[in-house]
Amino acid sequence: MRLTLAVHSISQTDFGPKTQLEGTRLQIDVEELRRCILQDRRLQSVDLEIARPGESCRAGYVFDIIEPRAKEPGSGVDFPGILGPVTPVGQGVTHVLRGAAVTVVDGGQPGGELGYESRRGGVSKILEMSGEAAKRSSYGDLQHLVMVPRAHPDIKRHAVLNALRVASCRAAVFLAQTALSQLPDSTLDFELEGPKSRNGNLPRVAYIGQIHGHQHGTESDEHILYGANTRGMMPTPLHPNEWMDGAVVTSYSWGGRGLETYFYQNHPIIGELYRLHQSGQANFVGAIATISSDQESEMKRNSMMAAQIAKWNLGADGVVLTKYAGGAPHTDMFETARQCEALGVKTVVLTSDTASDSRAESALLINTKEVNAIVSHSEGSDVRFQLPTVDRIIAGNSEVADIISGLSELTPDALCGIANNQGASRLQPIIY
Amino acid sequence: MKVVHYLNQFFGGVGGEEFADTPPNFLEGPVGPGKLLNQILPEGSQIVGTIVCGDNYAVENQQDIVSFVNAKVKEARADLFVAGPCFNAGRYGMSAGAVCEAVKSESDIPVVTAMSEENPGVDVYRGEVLIVDSGSSPANMRDVLVRIANLGAKLANDETVGPPSTEGYIPQGFLRTEFVEKTAAQRLAEMLMAKLKGESFEPEIPVTTFEPIPVPLMTTEIAKAKIALVTDGGLVPRSNPDNLPRAFSRVWGAYSIDERPKLLEEDFEVAHGGYDNAHVQQDPNRLVPVDVMREMERSGAIGSLHEEFLSTTGNSNPLENSRRIGREMAQRLKEAGVDAVILTST
Repeated sequence: MRLTLAVHSISQTDFGPKTQLEGTRLQIDVEELRRCILQDRRLQSVDLEIARPGESCRAGYVFDIIEPRAKEPGSGVDFPGILGPVTPVGQGVTHVLRGAAVTVVDGGQPGGELGYESRRGGVSKILEMSGEAAKRSSYGDLQHLVMVPRAHPDIKRHAVLNALRVASCRAAVFLAQTALSQLPDSTLDFELEGPKSRNGNLPRVAYIGQIHGHQHGTESDEHILYGANTRGMMPTPLHPNEWMDGAVVTSYSWGGRGLETYFYQNHPIIGELYRLHQSGQANFVGAIATISSDQESEMKRNSMMAAQIAKWNLGADGVVLTKYAGGAPHTDMFETARQCEALGVKTVVLTSDTASDSRAESALLINTKEVNAIVSHSEGSDVRFQLPTVDRIIAGNSEVADIISGLSELTPDALCGIANNQGASRLQPIIY
Repeated sequence: MKVVHYLNQFFGGVGGEEFADTPPNFLEGPVGPGKLLNQILPEGSQIVGTIVCGDNYAVENQQDIVSFVNAKVKEARADLFVAGPCFNAGRYGMSAGAVCEAVKSESDIPVVTAMSEENPGVDVYRGEVLIVDSGSSPANMRDVLVRIANLGAKLANDETVGPPSTEGYIPQGFLRTEFVEKTAAQRLAEMLMAKLKGESFEPEIPVTTFEPIPVPLMTTEIAKAKIALVTDGGLVPRSNPDNLPRAFSRVWGAYSIDERPKLLEEDFEVAHGGYDNAHVQQDPNRLVPVDVMREMERSGAIGSLHEEFLSTTGNSNPLENSRRIGREMAQRLKEAGVDAVILTST
């Protein structure tokens, strides 16, 4: 399977009379984009703003961040199962607006403690465009189209969230379609021969990633994998190219721990395994998508099956495992890793620390001595960012606007692009 | 900088094992390895006094030695307290740890000691006291004293102490988050390759192994036993009288079951942010199975159901806090004559 990313660098984004890409300048006809978003009749309005690097601007609460991408005609469907029929992605050419992002703010999410209680649709997550937090964020140097879709008041919450998801994908494709007829600045090829390849005697490596955690519930119309909500899902071999090319979007329960569709499209771990493959250090044989469960029996079954697939279908010698934020997914990941190790498949896991006492003994949660290769992105609850007062607030509603305009300090878990469960984070706990 | 130094009878020059019962004695100025330490300490610093005490005496009379040391440290108006190095001498390590911890909390001055990693004092005191890794051989004395002097000076001057690997002390087990050059993905790929090649690698969080807790023997017949229900799933009466938080709980509650045949949905709620508790909200018996236990009580399968259930929120709790909550719960159940417990976790 071969995927070519046609990369178009974006240096400037503006609203203007016509939606077009001129060199590295992206111009958006705001009314045309509005019509595109409001074809979803569940939505009654949408606010559209641009937030640029260094601008004195804060947006919240963020529902998702997506990189603008569009498939070359004939290469497949954009976001299959969400915007179009379920057909495979991960092949052909996909145009990418590198340096740009669509950031969707949830217009329906209440503020304060209630915002936290309603876990469906993310917690109190902030996009900060200036100051130290923006410098440390993976999103601080992007040109953001910030979008606040607002649903009719009688639309149920699950349908509002569904409408936000559809709007996010639509906007991402709408922007990137400007690049379809244009020559890219560069192209990047991603090709694997799959599990059959021997590739000399290089160690065979794979990725096992959770794409959802069911412990905070799952909506029946929630899109996660090719449009499926992943209820009852068993571990599924998923080609790394599919992962990066619109087969997977983040679920509504991303916790405070950094999981955005942007880093599925630009998956740091898949990227690293490709680097090992392309530089001849390892043979990247594939990836397995799995979930964390809210049932003990399902957890055991899924852990076993993921390990079995890694060992007997992919023939992996080593795997990287990640979780879907939080403590329950942590358990599923460690059990999966333990079962891999029992089959002779070496593991490395990405954890985070949810304990509040900054003690190493509390951080691990799990007592599994076989799973001894541990990377942690910490979550950084001991790190504080001083926030500047900002000129512009883009908020889901007035209640949230009041809360986020008064913020003076935040921890990384409340900021987009600092703590991250997909491997993008530069935080590390150092043992003292 | 004025330093007070603590030594055992051997390093203090009193004598070997036959003098291990010697009570504490305060001597002016440096003694034994203190003389070398005194030369190594930065300019303007000196050891103003040394406490020498027998190992047995210190271990068997911990209160006495702690009061003695505290008094001398205050009289001397010390800025820094140093104990040892103890190498792998177990009793010496235990007493050095104890006096360091006491001085730190009583006089609020920095304390430093040194031991080998195998010394039992390390496990007990590493969290509270900075312990330089001395290795087991006193031949390293000079190196060890240099590190003690450096660390002591930094602490006394309120300078930032670097990580254990650079400063040479035994990790205290605290995590400090720092920004690093490499992303987590890069670190994962490197660690994976090292593991696959059989090269050494360091986990970023140490792999902890916990002592298994033996299951106590049931001495009462189950048909005569009083059984209690305990959960960490956060079930509380409506209005949450003990204010159990949704995570990081420092509290727990004991709630009456009275003569209830089962728990009613309208009487209870869930304080827990870490699992999908919709099923428990609908039927609290599925977390705290009072209904089934009443049936077993009626049929004589168990003796009786204890009159209250205990509940806390098991979500992102520090281990030390969980241990305390566990001890307090066990104590309450023991006092109530409970024979066995059913723990339901989420």
